Amino acid sequence: MAQTPVQIDPNRINAAPSKDFFIYMLTRDVLLTRSIIDLLDNSVDGAKRLRAKKRFDGLWVRIELSPERFRITDNCGGISVKVAREYAFCFGRPKDAEETENSLGLFGVGMKRTFFKLGNKFEVKSTCATEQFVVDVDVREWVKEGDADPTDWHFKFSELKQDIERGDAAVDLGTEITVTELHPQIASEFQLDTVINKLATEISEAHILSIQNGLGITVNGIPVQLLQSNLFVSDSLQPAVKHIDIPRLLIDREEGDGVRVILLAGLAKREYQEGGWYVFCNGRLILRADKTDTSVWGPKHSVPQYHPDFAYFRGYAFLDSAHSALLPWTTTKTGVDTDSAVYKVVQKDMIELTKSIVGFLRKIAKDQNEGQLEEGALDTELDKATATRTETLSIPSAFRATLKTTPVTGPRIGRIQYSRPLDEINLAKKLMSVSTYKEVGETSFEYYLEYEGGK
Amino acid sequence: MPPSFRQINYSLRPAKAIERRMLSEMFRRLHPFQRIETYRYVGFGSIYFSDFMIFHRDLGIENMLSLERDTNAKMCFEFNKPYAAIKLQFGESEILLPTLDWTPRSIVWLDYDRKLTTSVLGDIGTFCNQASSGSALVVSVNAQAEPEPNDEAKKSFEQSTGKAFDSSQYRLSKLEEFIPDRVPMGTDGRSLRKNGVAEVFYKVIISKIETVLSGRNTLAKPGDKMRWGQFAHFRYCDGALMLSVGIVLYSDADADTYQMCAFDKLTFSRNGAKSYEIKVPALTSREISHLNSQLPQIATGETLKCDGVSDGDIQIYSEIYRYFPNYREVLWT
Repeated sequence: MAQTPVQIDPNRINAAPSKDFFIYMLTRDVLLTRSIIDLLDNSVDGAKRLRAKKRFDGLWVRIELSPERFRITDNCGGISVKVAREYAFCFGRPKDAEETENSLGLFGVGMKRTFFKLGNKFEVKSTCATEQFVVDVDVREWVKEGDADPTDWHFKFSELKQDIERGDAAVDLGTEITVTELHPQIASEFQLDTVINKLATEISEAHILSIQNGLGITVNGIPVQLLQSNLFVSDSLQPAVKHIDIPRLLIDREEGDGVRVILLAGLAKREYQEGGWYVFCNGRLILRADKTDTSVWGPKHSVPQYHPDFAYFRGYAFLDSAHSALLPWTTTKTGVDTDSAVYKVVQKDMIELTKSIVGFLRKIAKDQNEGQLEEGALDTELDKATATRTETLSIPSAFRATLKTTPVTGPRIGRIQYSRPLDEINLAKKLMSVSTYKEVGETSFEYYLEYEGGK
Repeated sequence: MPPSFRQINYSLRPAKAIERRMLSEMFRRLHPFQRIETYRYVGFGSIYFSDFMIFHRDLGIENMLSLERDTNAKMCFEFNKPYAAIKLQFGESEILLPTLDWTPRSIVWLDYDRKLTTSVLGDIGTFCNQASSGSALVVSVNAQAEPEPNDEAKKSFEQSTGKAFDSSQYRLSKLEEFIPDRVPMGTDGRSLRKNGVAEVFYKVIISKIETVLSGRNTLAKPGDKMRWGQFAHFRYCDGALMLSVGIVLYSDADADTYQMCAFDKLTFSRNGAKSYEIKVPALTSREISHLNSQLPQIATGETLKCDGVSDGDIQIYSEIYRYFPNYREVLWT
């Protein structure tokens, strides 16, 4: 057969993507647990479509992992045939894609990336009110299809029903995604309790607001626990609460809803790991207990570096927008895009709120070191305060803390701190018959004063 | 070196007194924004409240707030408050400033006796982030160069760095202790003598103002973008070398109003890296009276004369005589 001569434009440079790139390269950018949470994001978006700005009671997402199979099932409304055909399976989000208000899905990479990361076969079953479909894909076969025409990228419905009349039959409307023939590394990870526990913890953190809102999530049948985010409130302790509204016109010169922000900062239980800033975008935690200059810490922001003295500090930034693209998240949703203009505006106020609280905590530490304040005075004060859930705090206020303290009676106390080689300390311990560093310090000091100070 | 009788009594801090009076005249120029007596003044009054007294008397400001870090002597500060209108808040400025309501136009003088530190830069950041258009900030810090270290300090430096003592590296490391990660690139430790530290501190303060305003202006509405203009850059030495930098924030919409303030009409105003040095000639009351009788020069057109006083001192005095403090011993009977 005579071939049509192809007109070759000498200025044309080939920049077409390859399937291999998506299957083998893009999957490296996301951690296993995070890639599963990407699928959960789709379920949460479904819940948001069903119950716009209302509670999610009665809606659930079930995640099952085993060395043979991964499955995520939900009753969050399912994917419509139109959405599946035109958007959901596209690599990258098409410009004309319908937007779910306050959605988490944004980049159009999460679902496919997760399939490729987990295994060689995936099946997506969706059940909507009047239609249902199944997409069944063997990834190896799909790659081979590309050999004939590298520009032909598509999947096929293996089952498609539209205009169904269900009558009164109770059917869960939702999505069931199954990945089989898991990659060996993934299969062995799914045997580990540590991986399953890590996934449950990360889900409880990333989707804390959805869980609070009534969405039931289980991992291998076990409900994911709700992590509480609390700040202490009392007559003498008031967390800072600040609202910021950034009009969309200033962000991308388009009309419409912009970004609404609520910042909360105050004191909570002293826990070094938990201290820091938490940033949420449309209810999804994207920065957890941050202690770096990504949030507010360090000389770059004229705030001290995070330090054990600040382990009482908690800051929460809730950014919400009907247009997810305006929010400062990265594609893996595991960090903020610090170059985002929206984040810069919010960060400026996060810094200001932090300064007062950190200043207060430094003063407490200094007074305790100088013997001006009893050890544990702040804990005593916090014991009297009420741990208040962050979602109930919304009235704007400045941080206020007045510590009712009784100055330490008796002689003024100072604190001595110094470092010595471990060998020498251990020798001293042995010589003094004591077991702690503190005792070594105290005994050697007393010994010196007794012999040299005439005491 | 002037003779000993021409050296000043540092306990009186005359240069500081001159600076206060000059600042008062500068603040008066903010009136195109609003009547100066309706501004709020925020400062560190200590127990002397010298700045509060002069700004209340000269400018008529009544809304005054003194931030006091020493929380253990509240009664003492309350007792020494010269006017009922002065409000006191106790705590570190870094705790209190972010919690103030910044809606009122404010004149803020953060007159630290310490060197520039991360927390001082934080306070500058708070003002630049939050103050309203037409508000003024003056920051004063100790900018004295590090003295030559004693043998013990040299030894400790050698131990911590593992290298032979190097004066230049030593000075640089000391600066890094005060403003970690903020020392401008290319700063040469050898330049950190005399006015060298003041020069670096000035750069760091300006860089902080620019950085914070850049963040504040991100996504600001047209007309709301905040600009800054410098009206003061003083150096003086009543003992340690002090540096003061004064700026006004103004929105794009208020750019014309800022121009109307015309700070450049004041001979001691400086809008850049070149500072105005406040020098204080030591003169007797009689010499002051004699020189005053010939001032202002424009009225007489004649060269100032005063036997026994150098031409240099006469020149300096003629520039600052309106702000010159007059100290006398008073015997209470």
